[in-house]
Amino acid sequence: MPALLEIRGLSAGLQGRRSITQVVSSVDLDVQRGEILGVVGESGCGKSTLATAIMRLLVPPQVLQSGSMTLRLKDGNTYELLELPETDLRQLRWRHLSYIPQGSMNSLNPVLRIERQMTDTLIQHGLSREEALKRSIAALEMVNLEPRLLDSYPHELSGGMRQRVIIAAAVSMRPALIVADELTTALDVVTQRQLLQELAGIRDELGATILIITHDMGVVAQIADRVAVMYAGKIAELGTVNDIFESPLHPYSQGLIGAIPRAGGHRVEGLPGEAPSPWNYPAGCRFHTRCPHVIDRCRAQTPALLPQGDGRWAACHLYEPEVLSNA
Amino acid sequence: MTANSDASAGDSAAEGQAAGRREVFQYAVRRFGVYLFTLWAAITVAFFVFRLVPGDPMNILLGNLTRAEGRQRDAAAEEAIIAHYREIFGMDDPLPLQYINYLRKAILGGLDLGPSFVEYPAQTKDLVFRRMPWTIGIFTTSVLLAWIVGTGLGALIGWLQRSRLSQLAVVISTLLQITPVYLVALGLIIYVGYIWRILPAGGPYARHLQPEWTWEFISSLLTHAILPMLSNMIVIGAGFTLGMRALMISVLGEDYLTFARAKGLSPFTVLKDYAFRNALIPQVTALAIIVGATLNGTFIIEILFQLPGLGTLFVQAMGLRDFNTMQAVVLFSIFAVLTLTLIVDLALPLLDPRIRRTA
Ligand SMILES: Nc1ncnc2c1ncn2[C@@H]1O[C@H](COP(=O)(O)OP(=O)(O)OP(=O)(O)O)[C@@H](O)[C@H]1O
Ligand code: SF4
Ligand SMILES: [Mg+2]
Repeated sequence: MPALLEIRGLSAGLQGRRSITQVVSSVDLDVQRGEILGVVGESGCGKSTLATAIMRLLVPPQVLQSGSMTLRLKDGNTYELLELPETDLRQLRWRHLSYIPQGSMNSLNPVLRIERQMTDTLIQHGLSREEALKRSIAALEMVNLEPRLLDSYPHELSGGMRQRVIIAAAVSMRPALIVADELTTALDVVTQRQLLQELAGIRDELGATILIITHDMGVVAQIADRVAVMYAGKIAELGTVNDIFESPLHPYSQGLIGAIPRAGGHRVEGLPGEAPSPWNYPAGCRFHTRCPHVIDRCRAQTPALLPQGDGRWAACHLYEPEVLSNA
Repeated sequence: MTANSDASAGDSAAEGQAAGRREVFQYAVRRFGVYLFTLWAAITVAFFVFRLVPGDPMNILLGNLTRAEGRQRDAAAEEAIIAHYREIFGMDDPLPLQYINYLRKAILGGLDLGPSFVEYPAQTKDLVFRRMPWTIGIFTTSVLLAWIVGTGLGALIGWLQRSRLSQLAVVISTLLQITPVYLVALGLIIYVGYIWRILPAGGPYARHLQPEWTWEFISSLLTHAILPMLSNMIVIGAGFTLGMRALMISVLGEDYLTFARAKGLSPFTVLKDYAFRNALIPQVTALAIIVGATLNGTFIIEILFQLPGLGTLFVQAMGLRDFNTMQAVVLFSIFAVLTLTLIVDLALPLLDPRIRRTA
């Protein structure tokens, strides 16, 4: 079955005075129908830029540089997201493609009631007032919120409730794909777990596909089916949660897994150094400045994301056939 | 249900709303208290400050009398006359007593602000009432028009911030905003009034007319009002435009705007319900602030355009050290400004559900 969303060679950057600084570099990613795919990486590695590029919501100075994105819906319709004019895109948004932005606690307009903010979209997508209201209430129930919350203003709700309202709004049109950026970052652990459970429930109930973006490996472990590990604007490794947690291939994934506080409370091993910013991405493998296994060619050549069998992919010279055969 | 806390979450939201209404009421009461206090403070300051201005109104009064009668009086007679008037005006009482009498008459005596010194026995109240419609008319209309136009224009150039035309509009508004209002008024008087002769540029209405309810008079009144109001509007409107533009741009960077776009709302809905609606709130506050700051500009305009408003009255009274009239003008101006500000402030909770403990 073809992927729901097929991302190929997607690059996005920041427009400077003279040149563009690339933030996300030729990302290839297939989002499979019905899965929860986690995109994980350190702060600043370009996760949100990737998410907004997928939504085509980049705002200057952010610019899209190249690539293609194909959305294949169940009804057989196929859309080239990067080629769609803005008006068609608007039709697609929320109906098929919804987005929970980073910092979504501030994503509600403080001066409009929740009802207005949930139903205006539905009405604009062609629903009647009553139908829109019914859908909003149903969506609120999916995240365990009372319908009477519709009468509230955002400031009357707690952070967790606001976050739930956003999720409810995002699922109210039963979209095929939900892109959720740092959904749980600002929440306490208990609320975080509840929210993730609710999201997983929504996936099961609606058969939606969810792309969840986070810097928190714990979130990925709890909810995702597959993980894409991102480093400095590139995908370093891709595989199932099990594979990546049990036997990470890429040295960066190994470091990340090592950096998770274990049950005992002590960190097994941290990552030395700091993630590079887009203005000084290293040449060759971008991880070579921090990699414990660095070899000569790492400094000169960029490793490609290559299949490693069993649906695993890694972008590291150590796993290239000629290196493996030399070893 | 995974979350018990959410069952009560609805309750707390409803309670929150009731508490919200209560707080808005408290806000209104508090705001009114502030209004009364400010009014009192302003009257008090005006009372004492004008009495500190050097120069004795009695000498000026005497001069007027002398000129009217056309003959010199001896010193003793002059002394007697001055004493007589000082008595009438209560000027021999100690200052605190004068102040208390003044307040008492003003509040209990139906706004009795005393007689004018120089137009004795005319009541200053009547002088002010006769002049006030000019000032209030020109001032209120021009500020409101400037606000409406400036807000609309500012919203538009903020929304289209990256277009050439917007950038040009910003430059023009900035230039206009920093130009003193009297220069704009003089420019209009010279060019529009005298060189191009498009519109009348002096006096309240054509000289040969009398105030009456005829079309001829009213149209003359209106055409004479255009340039004074335009002077005020250009400068104030440019400020409002720049203010609204800045507010729009900051709102456009808010997370809820990205979210609104992500929802697939039409650009018009995003502009209207998410950007404009939100930028409008601080813009209304700006109106309240500007109202106070631009009244003096209106006074200057009255003088330049020879309109019989409070500004001209004040200048005349100032020259004659007519405390009572000066005080009355200041009092009414402050009253007008504070009242407009109060109305704006009380309207804010209607626009902004978040306003609570801010007063
Ligand atoms: N509008 C912008 N202006 C300036 N720099 C930007 C902008 N957007 C992104 N960047 C830069 O691009 C890089 C990637 O940003 P992005 O928000 O995509 O990272 P992220 O992985 O989502 O980080 P976080 O985990 O902190 O959300 C960062 O270095 C950031 O500073
Ligand atoms: S390519 Fe080289 S530097 Fe990069 S992760 Fe692999 S071993 Fe480390
Ligand atoms: Mg981010």
